[in-house]
Amino acid sequence: MSCLLRSSAALAFLFLGALQSVAAAAEALTTNQPADNLSFVNLDTMKEVARIKIGGKPAGIALSPDKTKAYITSPDSRELVEVDAVSRAVTRRLVVGGGPVGVAAHPKLPEVYVADWYTHKIIVVDTNKFAVVGTIAVGKSPSGLAVTPDGRLLLSADRDSNTVSFVDIASRKRIATVSVGNHPFGITIDDAGSRAYTANVKSNDVTVIDIAGRRVVGRVPTGRRPYAVGLADGRGFSTDQYGETVTAFDLKTLAPIKVIRACDHPEGIEADTARRNIYVACWGDDVLLRIDPVALKVTGKTAVGDGPRAFGKFLR
Amino acid sequence: MLKRLAIAAAILGSLPAVALAHGPSRQKVTESVEINAPAAKVWAVVGNFQDMSWVPVVAKTEGKGGNKPATNEATNDGATRTLTLKDGGVINEMLDDYDAKEMTYAYEITKVDVKVLPVNDYSSHITVTADGDNKSTLEWKGAFYRGYMNNDPPANLNDEAAKKAVSDLYKSTLAAVKAKIEGGK
Repeated sequence: MSCLLRSSAALAFLFLGALQSVAAAAEALTTNQPADNLSFVNLDTMKEVARIKIGGKPAGIALSPDKTKAYITSPDSRELVEVDAVSRAVTRRLVVGGGPVGVAAHPKLPEVYVADWYTHKIIVVDTNKFAVVGTIAVGKSPSGLAVTPDGRLLLSADRDSNTVSFVDIASRKRIATVSVGNHPFGITIDDAGSRAYTANVKSNDVTVIDIAGRRVVGRVPTGRRPYAVGLADGRGFSTDQYGETVTAFDLKTLAPIKVIRACDHPEGIEADTARRNIYVACWGDDVLLRIDPVALKVTGKTAVGDGPRAFGKFLR
Repeated sequence: MLKRLAIAAAILGSLPAVALAHGPSRQKVTESVEINAPAAKVWAVVGNFQDMSWVPVVAKTEGKGGNKPATNEATNDGATRTLTLKDGGVINEMLDDYDAKEMTYAYEITKVDVKVLPVNDYSSHITVTADGDNKSTLEWKGAFYRGYMNNDPPANLNDEAAKKAVSDLYKSTLAAVKAKIEGGK
């Protein structure tokens, strides 16, 4: 009995230890496009702790499932750049061609998907070999990408077709398209894998898609030029680039709740895993903002490199 | 023949502006000048959206809607203006945001030929900040894409050309505003 107690205490200790190490590592990685570098921000202290050179005007970002690697698109040099997020160093670079923008990692397979703005396809990169292993034709100028949590579907926001492409990852084929608002850019899938949200730059709204039904279930008006969507505490948040705001809306009713004054050109947005905060990269003001998704207020801010975009998943 | 060539040139010339895809790297330029005058005096010169006469290259400002910003880009119900430059170039703009108390406004270009200004999707802020009672800072900040929307731009429509054109415009204008206000002209 005492042995059992002791081992469960040891287990609890180990478990807590693991939790603490995860919490201690909480970081945001912002791709600073004009500055050509990547900032690491400690989310507990809201302070930038490191900055490394990337090159090629980095924009998009995705993290490996264990969050130890970052995959960054550099459209000017037409590369995918791999960064060891633990040692904070560039480890490999791969010229993928065209205009790489959005990027998403598979939750289980060693694969990342890169949206090629100019050739209108998705490039599949094997992250073990760090080589292109396939391409998938989608709509025009694919921008944001997202993978469902079960790893079966890849969704692509095809900016110049005003559609979202549904790609079957096993066969690497587009199996459906759904029409959304005008110029979808960022796309975000909820944790349950049931809905996807596109930020439509030219129609100033968010389109809500039922993934299983492959249909649009609603539309939310936002501030001007929405870029991407974050999800936290039953609420959605759009970064409105020209509006300089973050529009919060209810995920059940799809009604706007509050327009939060944010910064000049808010862009990349993501909720932390514990859903306590939302982080926003401000391209115009060169800062990372922290927003409380319940109080709907800006609660923190820190300087990063020039022109942070953080287009994709950038929290680890 | 000449006429046909001119039409072909006009079509080719308009292609980059019509193309929907844009280069993925947005550029930004920020310029500012310190002016030895109260902020209110500087704002009185630059703060009216319907009067761009403080920009030396502008010959004429024609517009409507005063200083009322658009509520929505799609409805385009706010103030607009058409600038005619001294060299004949024309720029159409709309007001996105206006705050007289904070002495700042934001606007965007809705239409411009890349031959007039080699940019796309241009938006901008003008802000006056007081530095004490008799000194102020005038800042002009722009966000835009280069003139050529695809890969491999020609030199006159690349990122550097866009940044240089905007930066030159801002610097020469801010210097002129400073000279005008400090000189009492």
